[in-house]
Amino acid sequence: MAEPAYTVTSDSETNGEEKSSSAFPETAIGIDIGTSQCSIAVWNGSQVELLKNTRNQKIMRSYVTFKDETPSGGVSNQLSHEHEIFSGAAIFNMKRLIGRVDTDPVVHASKSLPFLVQTLDIGVRPFIAALVNNVWRSTTPEEVLAIFLVELRAMAEVRLKRPIRNVVLTLPVSFSRFQLTRIERCCAMAGLHVLRLMPEPTAVALLYAQQQQQTVHENMGSGSEQIALIFNMGAGYCDVAVTATAGGVSQIKSLSGSAIGGEDILQNMMRHLLPNSESLFLKHGISEIKSMALLRVAAQDAIHKLSSQPSVQVDVDLGNGSKICKVVDREEFEEVNQKVFEKCESLIIQCMQDAKVEAEDLSDVILVGGCSYIPKIRNLVMGICKTQDISMGMNPLEAAVCGAALEGAVASGISDPFGNLDLLTIQATPMSIGIQADGKTFVPIIQRNTTIPARKELVFTTVHDNQTEALIVVYEGDEKKLEENNLLGYFKIGIPPAPKGIPEINVCMDIDASNVLRVLAGVIMPGTPHPVTPLMEVRMPTIDDGHGWCAEALHRAYGSTRDLVTVQKKI
Amino acid sequence: MAISVASIYQLSVPKPLQTRTHFYQNKPISRWRQKCTVIRCSNSTAGERARREKNYYELLGVSVDSSSQKIKEAYRKLQKKYHPDIAGHKGHEYTLLLNEAYQVLMKQDLRREYDASIGHLRVGFGENTTSLVGYSTWNGPLRPQALFVDENACIGCRECVHHSSNTFTMDDALGCARVKVQYGDDDQKIQVSVDSCPVNCIHWVDREELAVLEFLIRPKPKEGFGVFGGGWERPANVFMEAQSFTKQMKQEAELHHRNARATVEEETPAQAEARASASMKLQMEGFSRIWNWVKEASGSWKEP
Repeated sequence: MAEPAYTVTSDSETNGEEKSSSAFPETAIGIDIGTSQCSIAVWNGSQVELLKNTRNQKIMRSYVTFKDETPSGGVSNQLSHEHEIFSGAAIFNMKRLIGRVDTDPVVHASKSLPFLVQTLDIGVRPFIAALVNNVWRSTTPEEVLAIFLVELRAMAEVRLKRPIRNVVLTLPVSFSRFQLTRIERCCAMAGLHVLRLMPEPTAVALLYAQQQQQTVHENMGSGSEQIALIFNMGAGYCDVAVTATAGGVSQIKSLSGSAIGGEDILQNMMRHLLPNSESLFLKHGISEIKSMALLRVAAQDAIHKLSSQPSVQVDVDLGNGSKICKVVDREEFEEVNQKVFEKCESLIIQCMQDAKVEAEDLSDVILVGGCSYIPKIRNLVMGICKTQDISMGMNPLEAAVCGAALEGAVASGISDPFGNLDLLTIQATPMSIGIQADGKTFVPIIQRNTTIPARKELVFTTVHDNQTEALIVVYEGDEKKLEENNLLGYFKIGIPPAPKGIPEINVCMDIDASNVLRVLAGVIMPGTPHPVTPLMEVRMPTIDDGHGWCAEALHRAYGSTRDLVTVQKKI
Repeated sequence: MAISVASIYQLSVPKPLQTRTHFYQNKPISRWRQKCTVIRCSNSTAGERARREKNYYELLGVSVDSSSQKIKEAYRKLQKKYHPDIAGHKGHEYTLLLNEAYQVLMKQDLRREYDASIGHLRVGFGENTTSLVGYSTWNGPLRPQALFVDENACIGCRECVHHSSNTFTMDDALGCARVKVQYGDDDQKIQVSVDSCPVNCIHWVDREELAVLEFLIRPKPKEGFGVFGGGWERPANVFMEAQSFTKQMKQEAELHHRNARATVEEETPAQAEARASASMKLQMEGFSRIWNWVKEASGSWKEP
């Protein structure tokens, strides 16, 4: 179907250059790549419009099927049956796998998916493969996502009749900077330029700011500040944000997030229906995959039904002689997923504490994402926020992509005569960033929830006499233990010989509005006002795949010979 | 948080240099401070530096006594203009400053420290941050009245410390009581303390006067002549001294305002906008030393 309008790449690229040099800037499109579903939206000059695929779907399944020579994704592919996704030939849940090492528990949880996820547990990229004609064909999460993005791009180009280059992507709050670089790489592979990567709830916050402003315009009221809590839970991730909004400006006060979502709920449900399911599915034989697909679909159906009815009858023949015939009620469902719900609660509480707001301060509570249909989730959010009324002015599945499209228009410099784009999100860093110092401890330089752009510096000094080098190891996270944070990179800086404690090593971190992190380091010696050696400027992250064991290897190789300690402020 | 304090410190250091040098002539200057000053002085004259030194209130275009609400509004308005999402990458440096200013002015304690460091009369005066350590802090929101112990009159009976130990503290070196936390105890306990003072040396003063009083009551090194004189002294009547000090400061401030520009308070929104645009164009004095070096390295640096 899509063939006629699919122009040759080189053609569309030259068109793109002509266009960007013209007076009209290209409007960046917004893409929400979800763990299970995906959508794409654009500012069409007067409002946000979701783009539909050839089958008239606004929301598409995120997966890529490997068949014969050409893989095909969920954008254009017509599934003969839901089970086809679960046949082992399709790779899905890429978002849960991308940029993660094989020691990550999220990767381990993915081992019971129908396609093959192999781990060596040494901190390298996991091996994933799809079943093609009874052969496990290897691929990578990045490749799969890139294939999917190429399809999305082609579809958008057909719909908009122009080449697409700039995109705004929404991502989970808990994504590490390394994962963000993987996403950027996927986009580059698909010929897309990432204008902004925004945490999903902040995209929702932008949409909220727009809606807020429109109602203010209608009522001619004052643009007083509204504090909103945004809870977004999809198939793979759960994110919370607290935002203060006034006059179209949404200021993110705090963010929290974790890799829990519908997938965990689904796996818990599958385990509940068939207690030994995991060990069975790890075998990845043809018949096991088939029964796994049947169980997965049954569990999914049951969860969906439990959102509207108090109990559900599960009847499924797994084909290998075992049959499941069970009535599951809501209490049971909530019982088996108790841990997931507890985690959600703790994320909300943490986010509110970080923002220093109480339940009474919240003017709105916004619930979005696929999991927002689950009654227990709604109840727990309402409970913590002490409200009975959850804002339903947004489509839970479309809010994030609409926000991304708005950001795309704002960041592309589009203006709207009616003031509908008179918007801004002031972002905050979801995780602290710091370096290793004071023995093996994590010393944050930029604290979490700092407004970006941000720039902070801290002074360190040497721990040994005549220490000629310092090793600066940059981490991101909020864990007490150094090694539980994400390693971003490392570099050495040379120091002239001096007794310990004398050289001053300034480490400065700068995050710009597109969330690019630069780390600068310079050494000054007493008596000289200027750095003695050229400064180091390093764009982070610098690490590559297989970084899981980097920190350990560094420590083995260097011990504490190149350590630093923080300098107490001399006041 | 140590980090934010550090950056305020850097920003505020050179400010009081020209006008109020006489207050701390004899004070030892820390190594850090010296270095900072050297760096800043080296590529501009004192006058230029004063102009380039960003005052957070000026940056946001608000008056020094603005409410948090006002500051918030001004911040958002400026962000909407200069945020890199809107203004492109050239808005980066400016937005960094805005964020810094906002962070400081929205936090009551940081704002108080900052006010003190820029020599603002409302709560502060020209002094380096060193002498601010040990000053009374506030428990809860600022109130119009504050507690002040006239240490000259105090006989060191410890009665007040006994009744409100969270508010008063004993300076054992000087043998007198002092307020460490304003309203550190509940009102009733504080009242008991005030009433129990045998020499009535605990005074309720206006909040605006507090910083000046607390500054003046501290013993100052006496100016010595050769081997004569020296030692420490404090004014015999701190209230009288405070009055004349405030008057002097006001005059200086007025002079300063008249010379430099119209006062911030009188600025109309249009003027504020024009100034904001102009200051955007001014070379931004980054608040990071490293950043200054980078800039110096990239060409704008000239040997003095």
